[in-house]
Amino acid sequence: MTHEQASELLAAFALHALDRDEEQAVSAHMQSCAQCQDELASLREVTEQLGSAVGQVSPPPRLREAVLAGIRSRPDVITLRRGWVVAAAAAVLLLVLAALGVSLSRQLTALSARLAAQERVLALLAAPSARSVPLTGTVAAAVRFVYDPDRGLGALVVSDLRDPGRESVYQLWLIAGAQPESAGVFRPLPGQPIVLPVTADFSRYQAVAISIERAPSGALQPTTTPVLLGKL
Amino acid sequence: MRTGASLAVGERPIRPSAVEWQMERGATQADHEATLLARIARRDATAFETLYDRYSRAIYSLALRLLGNPQAAQEVAQEIFLHIWRGAGEFIPARGSARSWVLSLAHHRTVDALRRQRVRAVEPLAEGDLGAGGGADVVDQALRGVEGATVRSALMTLSPEQREAIVLAYYGGYTQQEIANRLRIPLGTVKTRIRDGMQRLRGQLVQGEEERQ
Repeated sequence: MTHEQASELLAAFALHALDRDEEQAVSAHMQSCAQCQDELASLREVTEQLGSAVGQVSPPPRLREAVLAGIRSRPDVITLRRGWVVAAAAAVLLLVLAALGVSLSRQLTALSARLAAQERVLALLAAPSARSVPLTGTVAAAVRFVYDPDRGLGALVVSDLRDPGRESVYQLWLIAGAQPESAGVFRPLPGQPIVLPVTADFSRYQAVAISIERAPSGALQPTTTPVLLGKL
Repeated sequence: MRTGASLAVGERPIRPSAVEWQMERGATQADHEATLLARIARRDATAFETLYDRYSRAIYSLALRLLGNPQAAQEVAQEIFLHIWRGAGEFIPARGSARSWVLSLAHHRTVDALRRQRVRAVEPLAEGDLGAGGGADVVDQALRGVEGATVRSALMTLSPEQREAIVLAYYGGYTQQEIANRLRIPLGTVKTRIRDGMQRLRGQLVQGEEERQ
């Protein structure tokens, strides 16, 4: 798509009024066109106001609980038990069901997040600049952190780690100076490796650490001494 | 006391000092929305909760207006927040405000949900319900839902044709092609109305914004 074609479609793009193909073409052009990016930013100020002008209604409190429970479950965690091929086959099945009109939006979202995460991890493993750090500490474990500092992609690979007990979860931290930043909570699966993708600017951090925190959502800052640590 | 094998980084305690902790918490209200999204990109659940509390009303209201059904609006709102949680890293501060990014994402997801709903209902796109009158009912109904006075009066400065095209697109979730089908006019005409209408709205709304500041 030429710049002229894309810029003619920007207003409709901002309104989400393009067909999927056109939308993708404009989106692709936009990646490398600062002029269109600026134009879209200002058109989005308009759509932002259109969106804010509707009558305001508070959502029911259960939405808050559902949303917060949804992010804690980390659907992008990859389990390696049945192989990624199965996930791809499941994706096709879900698409078929969706085409038949079965409401699957949430499952599709979770699945596409997992597939996107797998793609990121594959790209990470293929990167020549990727590094791998074993995490060691006070518990017996087979846990590595693989990361590519050039592209800000990383993943915690948990091959073996004991169950933290029902009341607890493991929480991953990226440590910048004395400041740990949470990278999510997880639970190991017995006999199954899991992979947690992490996107970050790794030059900011000196270490990754894992502490045991209270289930289900962990802590804002570590409340216990980390059980595992790896220096970046 | 032994603290375990190499658990501190460069001799420093792993737990932040109380001062840093206070700063982190106290800044919440003044927190820039952009910073909030950057923290969410790093999987900061507290930042996400703050964002939820700031945006849930706006997102839910928009979804409810477009979908017209509280159950569907809740489902799509949940989907939108999950997208924000996973996609916050895609927000680039130099390309617009966090609020416009969030609302654009919310609108996009809601429109997708609306289109899925229409596919399920097998709604005829061109024939029947509207006839030669085009989208008059849909436009009237959508305009009644617009409560913001500034936006209302900005929309009223458009020509009726421009207003119809933009309202059908934004609040009706129709593509340019669908609007052309509904109104039985050439696609090129719809494109022109949308482009000119948006230019005009921008002149009204963005200029108004500058005056207020």
